Amino acid sequence: MTVGIVGAILIKISFVAALVAAFLYQRNQEHTVFGGIGLARNSFHLSVLTLVSAAAILLYLILTHQFQFTYVWNYSSTDLPLPLLISTFYAGQEGSFTLWALFTALIGLFLIQYSARKGYEPYVMSVYSLILSFLMLMLVVKNPFAFIWESFPNDLIQTGTIPSGIPNVVILDEARSLWARYPFEGKGLNPLLQNYWMVIHPPILFVGFAAMAVPYAHAIAALMKRDYTTWIRPATPWLVFGSMMLGTGIILGGYWAYETLGWGGFWGWDPVENSSLVPWLLSVAAIHTTLIQRKSGTFVKTNILLSILCFMAVLYSTFLTRSGVLGETSVHSFVDPGMLAYWLLLGCMVLFASIGIGFLLYRRKDMPSAQVEHSLYSREFAIFLGAMSLVFVAVFVTIGTSSPIITTILKGKASAVEMNYYVKTNLPLGILIAFLSGIGQLLWWRASQSTSLFRSLALPSVLAILTTLAVLLLGLEEILIILFTFFSAFSFFVNLRIGYSVYMGNPRFAGGALAHIGIAIMFLGFVTSERYDEQRTLSLERGKPVEALGYRVMYLGYVPTEREKYAFNVEVERDGRKHIVSPTMYYSDFTKGLMRHPDLINFLSRDLYVAPLSLEEADDGRERRYEIAKGSEVSGTGLRIKFEDFDLSNMDKTTAAEGEIFSLGVRLSVREEESARTNKISLFMINSGVGKPRFPSVSYTTAKQTLYELRLVRIAPDQEDPTKSMIEIAVTVPEESAEERNGEVLVVEASVKPLINLVWVGTVTLVVGFFLTIVRRVKEARIQHDDVR
Amino acid sequence: MKPKIIIGAAVVIVGLVLGTVNFLESNVEYMDFTSAERTGKKAQVKGEWLKEMETRFDSQNVQFIFHMKDENQRVMKVVLEGAKPNNFEIATSVVAKGKIEDGHFHATDVLTKCPSKYEGNSETVKKTL
Repeated sequence: MTVGIVGAILIKISFVAALVAAFLYQRNQEHTVFGGIGLARNSFHLSVLTLVSAAAILLYLILTHQFQFTYVWNYSSTDLPLPLLISTFYAGQEGSFTLWALFTALIGLFLIQYSARKGYEPYVMSVYSLILSFLMLMLVVKNPFAFIWESFPNDLIQTGTIPSGIPNVVILDEARSLWARYPFEGKGLNPLLQNYWMVIHPPILFVGFAAMAVPYAHAIAALMKRDYTTWIRPATPWLVFGSMMLGTGIILGGYWAYETLGWGGFWGWDPVENSSLVPWLLSVAAIHTTLIQRKSGTFVKTNILLSILCFMAVLYSTFLTRSGVLGETSVHSFVDPGMLAYWLLLGCMVLFASIGIGFLLYRRKDMPSAQVEHSLYSREFAIFLGAMSLVFVAVFVTIGTSSPIITTILKGKASAVEMNYYVKTNLPLGILIAFLSGIGQLLWWRASQSTSLFRSLALPSVLAILTTLAVLLLGLEEILIILFTFFSAFSFFVNLRIGYSVYMGNPRFAGGALAHIGIAIMFLGFVTSERYDEQRTLSLERGKPVEALGYRVMYLGYVPTEREKYAFNVEVERDGRKHIVSPTMYYSDFTKGLMRHPDLINFLSRDLYVAPLSLEEADDGRERRYEIAKGSEVSGTGLRIKFEDFDLSNMDKTTAAEGEIFSLGVRLSVREEESARTNKISLFMINSGVGKPRFPSVSYTTAKQTLYELRLVRIAPDQEDPTKSMIEIAVTVPEESAEERNGEVLVVEASVKPLINLVWVGTVTLVVGFFLTIVRRVKEARIQHDDVR
Repeated sequence: MKPKIIIGAAVVIVGLVLGTVNFLESNVEYMDFTSAERTGKKAQVKGEWLKEMETRFDSQNVQFIFHMKDENQRVMKVVLEGAKPNNFEIATSVVAKGKIEDGHFHATDVLTKCPSKYEGNSETVKKTL
């Protein structure tokens, strides 16, 4: 318990220390005051140290299952394997902010050394410390060390003497004999998060988020120092690093959604996905425009603006996904963090935006505005246009994601945009980006070669046309898709050609070309897997093969896997080769619903993707269902059944109104056709207030000892016209009058995604390209520093 | 200089027009069953699932059928193309997206809303004591 109180105190110290560091760094930019840079540095180190200790305490509390802490109780449980248990550290808001702050702090340690060497420390670190202090303020408000009896005082805190034999009791106030009970088990981790993606995906994304603060800090430092050019070199490696981490995180998230969550594709334009895509797009745009500034000294303002916007996008996406503003418009559940956190997030965003944009406007007269003299056919213009296209995509995605906010303002009611909004707006821009990533590279490269533009264009164009024709053979498509395919193929061949010659010259310089090859391959993968995919919903009766999508598909049956989960084995056969796919379904106590996970077979040329929809239990052919209107009768089973009236004898009106346990009955008269004997029976629906209502079966034995079972299936009372009320009943007939049996049926959605491997190959190529670029830019930044010395 | 500005301006204008049109088009409006019926357009209807009425999955046509009461208490049969949405039973409200056809609401998408879905509440904390 005390260790938790220490944790909360450490967070407060860390906040104050970061704020003090920001202040001291700022004061020491021009003159040495208050103990100088050394004290500022110590203050930052103190902030990092206390935060690391607090994080270690939180991890310790999770690992030792201290459920007297709300956070630990809310997200973990004793049955989680170690990696998942560790991952509950960032399963909730408090923890994920802690992780973000932690990465920010650790990057800060490097940044002190890094910026000190370049003479930027007091400038960069004053901004950076302020960012850290705001993240820490979030944690002061949303304390991960809150005790569970503070969160649920009415349920847990009690007064009086403690009854003996009660476990997990803590005495809060001896004098007032105040004590509380705390849980022995946690609520557990959302089953959707219980896989290895949860272990790796969020940390990578948060490293990216944290790294995006560095270019921002450098841009503000440039404005402070009124030195608008030299900041680019030290900032670039961080920009590329942040971009690479974010990109990797996004891709892993996409693969997670595809492979485990069963979204059917790798991208669903979901707010959570979009919110990490936007900063990535802006960072890629910034990478391109900073490149021009290095070469020609132009786009000074653009670069500062883009670096600021990257970080703004990170903050805005945090605001969108953490503040509860998206509320009811997404499949994700957005927890309302409370008003204080909401305003704090908003305030944080406004503050850092005003610092950045305000400062930029203030300094705009002071900044050199280099003459942009590049012609229409210059590489600079091509790159600029490409960067602007990326910014446009970012803007469109932001507008789409913010739709609930925009529509609330305009129409008073929040609504989200449909998925096709993103496709329609971004496809033309995608075509432009594909084209420019080819032609821009070509123009860039040509500057160092002496071949004519026409000659260097010829071969890639011809190959791109051939590729497009090959894709067209798969089926006709709309013109925009054809253009997208063509230019993606064009970009691929151009960059392949350039990449090859650059690699021959200096392998370390091939990063750019490689990244572009990756993007082009991904684009082609989008077309093949999303536009030429085939989807079928199949009802698979156990043991009966079905022909679909070029496969022979047969449901074999289900087997239990771990902890009451079931794998549904489906055999797929093509050209004599058999494979088994095993999608899983299970009921989750956590979400109170059915969880479904797809399974897939990854072939070289395509994926076969099988998502389970439902399992229809075997039907022994004995059950017949009838709909009966009030006052009418049905026959066909040997019984004539008449729905006489509702039976409210067991119903207590007051409890029914409160949604408590109640039962609603119907009175039937049953006439046996063989003996003409008539009986009255009642069937009930019992609603226990939680979950589905129950419909207990009633046995009915005829005069000739034939056994029937009757049960209500549903009741549809008509309030306005009671004579129109309907019921549905199920009658189980004796074995001898059973009809044909129906086997167990598994309903699945099967799809074939051609060449989806291109997407994965493309992403890996892209990340490798990024990595090579970082290595190169770090070396370059180091060389520049040596020159200064 | 000139052609660049023209190209730039053209790109910006085309982009803005494209974005606005798409944004307005793809924002499906919230309405009740009655207005959805009147306009015949694609709509989002928020309401409550009626547990006691017919609720079943039609495995032949792969449709999930249930009845929903909108905010003006009008009840309508909803036919969803697909399987039962996750968390359907515990949802406090559902939002169906689609249009009215042949007297029923033909939904392409059904979102379920469970405000306390992943947050601990007093009920869950009592269970783990």
